[in-house]
Amino acid sequence: MIKLNNISHFYVQNEQVLHDVSLAIDTGEFLFLSGESGSGKSTLLSILSTLLKPSKGELILDGINVKDIKNIDSFRSDNIGFVFQFHFLINYLNVYENIALAAKESYKKDINSLLQTLGILELSKRYPNEISGGQRQRVALARSLINKPKIIFADEPTGSLDSKNSTLVYELLKTASDAGTTVVVASHDLSIEKYATKTIKMYDGKIL
Amino acid sequence: MIALRALSKNKFKSLLIFLSITIAVSAIFLISSISQGVIGMYSNMIKTDGDIIITQKGISDTFFSNVDINIRKQIDNYEDTKSSYAVIVGASPVGKIPIAGIYGVTKNHLNHYKLVKGKYPKEGQVILGENIAKQIHTRSVKIGNKRYKISGIFSSEIGFEEGGVVMNIKDAGKLFNRSSSFILVSSKNPNKTDELQEKISSLSEDIEVKTTQSFVDEYNQFKIIENSSLVISSLAYLMGLMGIASVMSMIINSRKEEFGIMRALGKSRLFIIKNIFYESVIMSIAAYTFALLLSISILEIIPHIETLQGYVNGSIDTNMAFYVFISTISMALAGSILPAYIASKTDPIILINQGCS
Repeated sequence: MIKLNNISHFYVQNEQVLHDVSLAIDTGEFLFLSGESGSGKSTLLSILSTLLKPSKGELILDGINVKDIKNIDSFRSDNIGFVFQFHFLINYLNVYENIALAAKESYKKDINSLLQTLGILELSKRYPNEISGGQRQRVALARSLINKPKIIFADEPTGSLDSKNSTLVYELLKTASDAGTTVVVASHDLSIEKYATKTIKMYDGKIL
Repeated sequence: MIALRALSKNKFKSLLIFLSITIAVSAIFLISSISQGVIGMYSNMIKTDGDIIITQKGISDTFFSNVDINIRKQIDNYEDTKSSYAVIVGASPVGKIPIAGIYGVTKNHLNHYKLVKGKYPKEGQVILGENIAKQIHTRSVKIGNKRYKISGIFSSEIGFEEGGVVMNIKDAGKLFNRSSSFILVSSKNPNKTDELQEKISSLSEDIEVKTTQSFVDEYNQFKIIENSSLVISSLAYLMGLMGIASVMSMIINSRKEEFGIMRALGKSRLFIIKNIFYESVIMSIAAYTFALLLSISILEIIPHIETLQGYVNGSIDTNMAFYVFISTISMALAGSILPAYIASKTDPIILINQGCS
């Protein structure tokens, strides 16, 4: 369960990007955050994913106020998976090593089976520059799933993909959601709506 | 190992760091070993055959010292004196060679120079060190305003002597207008060196008498060389450090996404700092090894360069290699502190902002 209570955020004084946003997301929910550029959805996603501290308000993750978490790095590693618009794979590590970098020791044994599930096992020794954009995004997805996170945050995960690869990514996220992982996706792409269990439209820093 | 992979992926920038460290470390090695070599050669010249050295009081450089050679007669009469000899050290153009060391010695010290050809010099004659002899192919040589017959060639383990000319002390006295630069005295009984030193001191108010060891330890010229070497080595160290810091900063800047993703994946700041330190240490060990081999090669070549006449010499001992190794690692770590700190502070939010919708 994710709970946002009266969140406001300013990047600079007098430039408020989020206005008193409150929101609850249930465990296993697939939430689609939609909205135009500048609507505040990336900021909201950053706050939800603990990458950004809100100027006001509180974020409760699994009953814990994020402000009270002492080791946020460890918390992130234990609970959160990320998928970004660009794959952000480390170019000097191969596919397997990129996932192993994120994997906790106990999950390293699952890397190959995860790659198998995502249909990219044969790419495990290849480097990011040796695979296609769609394959890279699947690797990024594998990296976000490896520690079996409670929540996956995806920011424009299909922004650099064609429709075929976009569909594949959405289906993989949906599978994760069906398995009990909470998925939050911020995107312009309205085709994601059919996979979502809940859609929130943002406008001018507010939830409509 | 992530650090090794990162280095191999950033080949050009890694090469720049490698070169920065190599140049700095080679400079430290060469400056230190050559200055130690100079000190060692001169110390050996003084310490070889004497326990006590007599120089002119108040003159800090043996080149300018003038000691009355006649006090040798009294010194030789002391019960504890084993032997004594006098030396004049000077420098002068020798034939076409612009400058070379000239050593005027008393007869009893000539056998210190191991003849490889010819005879020891009489008045009006000189013997040449093997190094300088390679550049002089005549039977006589002009030193100052006078021509001297070359009576032989000698070898010496001391580079200064190998590149110099030895003559009778009387000839050297006329050439440099002095009695002797210093007198060296060997004691029969090492336990009575202090007593002998006191007796010699009482002979004249114009002389300074020291054990050769304390002379070498206190010799001003050595201190100047050591301090200069330290200053130049420190500058080389700082330049290496700045080189590492600036190239590392460039690397860190170009790898911000990488650090951002590590932070987003929950890797701690310490993990990033450690990896950057590993990269620096790997680079510094590689560069140190290369610099060590390069410096040893250069130091091997230097004595064979005829124009240097054997005056420039040096070697790297285990102690020096160890201290420079520690300096290299500290230089690499110090140069990486700020870039590593900046990298660890990378905010993963940049990953979202780049694709900001």
